[in-house]
Amino acid sequence: MSFTLLLISELPEDKVFAAEVAVTAGLSLKIVGSAAEGASVIAQEDGVVLLADVSTEKQYLALESALQSQVGLFSDKVNPNRIHFMTSAELEKVQYLVQSPFFGQFLLRNFTNVKEVGAHYGRIIKQSIQERAFGLQGYLSPQAKVQTIRLKKSSQKQDAVEAVKNFLIAGKFQSRMASAIANAVDELIMNAIYDAPVDDIGKQLFVATSRTTQIELEGKHCVDIQVGFDGQYVGIAAIDLFGSLDKAKLITHISKIYSDEEYRVRTSIAGAGIGLATVFKTGGSLLFVSESRVKTEALVFYKRCDSYREFKDQFRFVSTQFYF
Amino acid sequence: MINVIKEQKGNSLTVKMAGSIEESVNFEQIIGPSPGAGNELQVNTKEVPRINSVGVKAWIKYFQMVSGSGAKLKFIECSTAIVEQINLILNFTCGGEVESIYVPFTCTACKGELVGLFKTVDLKKMELQLPELKCTKCGGKATFDDIPEEYFAFLSR
Repeated sequence: MSFTLLLISELPEDKVFAAEVAVTAGLSLKIVGSAAEGASVIAQEDGVVLLADVSTEKQYLALESALQSQVGLFSDKVNPNRIHFMTSAELEKVQYLVQSPFFGQFLLRNFTNVKEVGAHYGRIIKQSIQERAFGLQGYLSPQAKVQTIRLKKSSQKQDAVEAVKNFLIAGKFQSRMASAIANAVDELIMNAIYDAPVDDIGKQLFVATSRTTQIELEGKHCVDIQVGFDGQYVGIAAIDLFGSLDKAKLITHISKIYSDEEYRVRTSIAGAGIGLATVFKTGGSLLFVSESRVKTEALVFYKRCDSYREFKDQFRFVSTQFYF
Repeated sequence: MINVIKEQKGNSLTVKMAGSIEESVNFEQIIGPSPGAGNELQVNTKEVPRINSVGVKAWIKYFQMVSGSGAKLKFIECSTAIVEQINLILNFTCGGEVESIYVPFTCTACKGELVGLFKTVDLKKMELQLPELKCTKCGGKATFDDIPEEYFAFLSR
């Protein structure tokens, strides 16, 4: 199937960004200025990847309404895996997107170098339109070397995290950046070991288990870590074989803000529920690819920057690809 | 792994932590029970490069207990990783006072990382106008390297 990238935006920088995304992903590009025109394209064509400026709730509601009237919200053509929302506001500030029934991906428009981030996101889109979007290699430029580490026991997590940190320092990331990325990897691995495992009826096996409890990671419980660096972006994936990720819960966790609301210690669960929000706040892009009952890949991406300020304020996204 | 050095001076206990704070850290074990009402606990995190989410949960649980017992809680020489958490989580300091923090700088010439220790009372007076530092590696000019409105957000709470 051939795909079209459809941009709904009137902003010049969005047009430059979309053009670069389309070139990198090998898609044809259509640009329209209104939600109604966009919905009309989606109704008429198959294989549309939608990139929409939804900076205000009004813009979002216009899009939802146009899709509902011209395409139908339950149509196969309205596939969250192919819908990309763009705003200039942090995720927690756009709750209308968090609650959207077709939330698929969220892009925080920090276009310091619009062509460069367009190429980066083009690789994300290119991989996302494959039958299954698994595989870190496809998200990085072709020269990236991807290494895989298989964890056999939960106690190996710390060594894996430190190994990633040392790899990054060797790759000329500032130590503060390396620590932030190491923390992200720590969170992904913990989620893969303790949150992903479920029984046959989908009940979490270790949600209340102390994170210090040693778990053998044999068979279905095995956890793989992949690390790749293409000289500009580093990508790290934690892979489990349960495919149990709950999208609504995930997005709620990532968009939660604790800077103006007290964090309450819950003793009924062993995890903290704040890890992924911190990752996104400190410059990381998050991507989750999950096939129900088969596998989940949780990935983070960071650009290597000259300064921490640039690192923390870099273009970033939250992307979800779910297969049921 | 974390190493802890404790120093008692009068009714003030200073605890210096070195290492990452994660799920294996048990504050009750490494620091001990709360010093109690009328006493002070000073926590120095200069050598803490990172803290994960389970570490944050344990931190809040422990220091809320200390604060609730009536002991005076003071955070000194907070590392950049700890400052980030203070900004991200409203109740991270559990009612304690942040006395001093490390502020990150990057050399404009060699891109080397530096940190400068500042008292929060002085930072408030500076109104985010930080001095430049001299790079200890190349002698170049080092400037503040973070987003001021985010790194110093806790000062205006």
